[in-house]
Amino acid sequence: MLLQVSGLEVAYGPVRAVRGVDLEVHQGEIRAILGANGAGKSSIIRAIMGLVKPRGGTVAFAGHALHKLLPHKVNEWGIAWVPEGRQVFSTLTVEENLLMGAFSRRHGQATDARQQQVMDMFPTLRERRTQLAGSLSGGEQQMLAIGRALMSNPRLLLMDEPSLGLAPKVVRSLFDLAQEIRARGISILMAEQNARQALRVADYAYLLEVGEIRGGGSAREMESSETIRRVYLGG
Amino acid sequence: MEQFVQQLVNGIMAGSTYAVVALGFGLVFSVMRVVNLAHPEIFMIGAYAAFVVITGLHVPGGLGVLAAVALFLGVLLVAMLTTGAAGLVLERLVIRPTRGTYILTPFIATAGVSIALQNSAQRLFGPDPVRVPSVIPPYTFTVGGVRVTSMQLTTFLTAVAIMLALRYYVHSTRWGRATRAVAENPDVAAACGVNVNRVSQLTVGIASIMAGAAGVALGLLYTSAAPFMGLLYGLKSFICMLVAGNRHIEAIMAVGLLLGVVEAIVTGYISSNLRDAVAFALLLAVLFFRPQGLFGSYEV
Repeated sequence: MLLQVSGLEVAYGPVRAVRGVDLEVHQGEIRAILGANGAGKSSIIRAIMGLVKPRGGTVAFAGHALHKLLPHKVNEWGIAWVPEGRQVFSTLTVEENLLMGAFSRRHGQATDARQQQVMDMFPTLRERRTQLAGSLSGGEQQMLAIGRALMSNPRLLLMDEPSLGLAPKVVRSLFDLAQEIRARGISILMAEQNARQALRVADYAYLLEVGEIRGGGSAREMESSETIRRVYLGG
Repeated sequence: MEQFVQQLVNGIMAGSTYAVVALGFGLVFSVMRVVNLAHPEIFMIGAYAAFVVITGLHVPGGLGVLAAVALFLGVLLVAMLTTGAAGLVLERLVIRPTRGTYILTPFIATAGVSIALQNSAQRLFGPDPVRVPSVIPPYTFTVGGVRVTSMQLTTFLTAVAIMLALRYYVHSTRWGRATRAVAENPDVAAACGVNVNRVSQLTVGIASIMAGAAGVALGLLYTSAAPFMGLLYGLKSFICMLVAGNRHIEAIMAVGLLLGVVEAIVTGYISSNLRDAVAFALLLAVLFFRPQGLFGSYEV
């Protein structure tokens, strides 16, 4: 078991955004958290990353407790974040963005090799190496955000609404990419509104509604579930 | 024409220290969204540090050039270490606990520190300006009818060296890159493995070291240090930061020099009484036409 979240409680003032959530990710899996806007998906991701302090519950990664750690420590343990809305460093170049992804790993040959790997994966990034990240298109920025996260050689990738704001063709190749990443041995936990695409690639999915897990199962089970079909897949 | 060029040169010399102090403000604001109102007092500490070291060493007059430069660098080093340490203490005790949510909290907290530092200086050194002996032998260089004193030149070269060092740090080092990343998006930077608290320390430390160097340069240029010297100088430097916007450090450098030049020209051609009004007039104009600063700012 790579990631284990137990009884997670996240609240912003009086608002309980995440209520007693339990979830797991096993090595080599893609797991999806499905849910509508405001269900609490991002809050779960942010709590795992250490960006928001949970009011209760625990997060364990390969047996180590993470829920009290600052984000840079969580990253050092092997978790990387692809934030909602890409959030590339627009005033830094593409190359500098990638280097930032590897910040927790000292510089040197390993980082250079990693950078080459990432640019092999995304040739567009190699083309635009010295361009300011702010000048890239939405799809290119998404590639950069993912590439940046991969730079730290993570064991687990947290993807927050990766398909948001992207054209349908780009969305498809994005989820294909997720499969490629899994094939390289990196596990993924993704929060997604686009249930159809997420279930196409995920091994297992959770359904989140108003901060609570209302169901979970393998992707096949979820796809054939009446509720999911009706609410998320349009019957 | 000659007079104009002379004023231009005087202005650039004077403006270079505005630029250095303004950069300190700008750095801390853009990276941490904190207005450090104690920054001008750190500048003042630099000047007093120079005073203490020079008078404490009982430096004999009439030093040779090499010895003078060595002494200057030594004084600079001591002052920068002092103000750097002061900055780190300030960061840990006052800025780190108050930064984050509401922009006025560190503003008010550092305002308190600023008042405390001014009054401490008054207590320690008296309310009147003290004389800081200049260690640089007083030559005047004349190039094509334009006169530049050795002290002016020293001040200018020190400021330029600092600005170049800062630019190198920000653009070409790992931590400098991290600093830029934190300025834009601290959450994402943290998730990339950047210890934001460490960047906070570094930033305030660097800004304070810069302020200290500017304090020494100015203290020697005007051969005086006073408890309230930070007030007007700091305010004008702050205005430079506001006018330039906090996005590009080169912009702040440029505006600092610009302010120096405009002040010199106003002093030379209109009236020296209006010198201090220049900064405020500039600020009013910018706030009216382009409030985000001439070269743009990050959102707060």
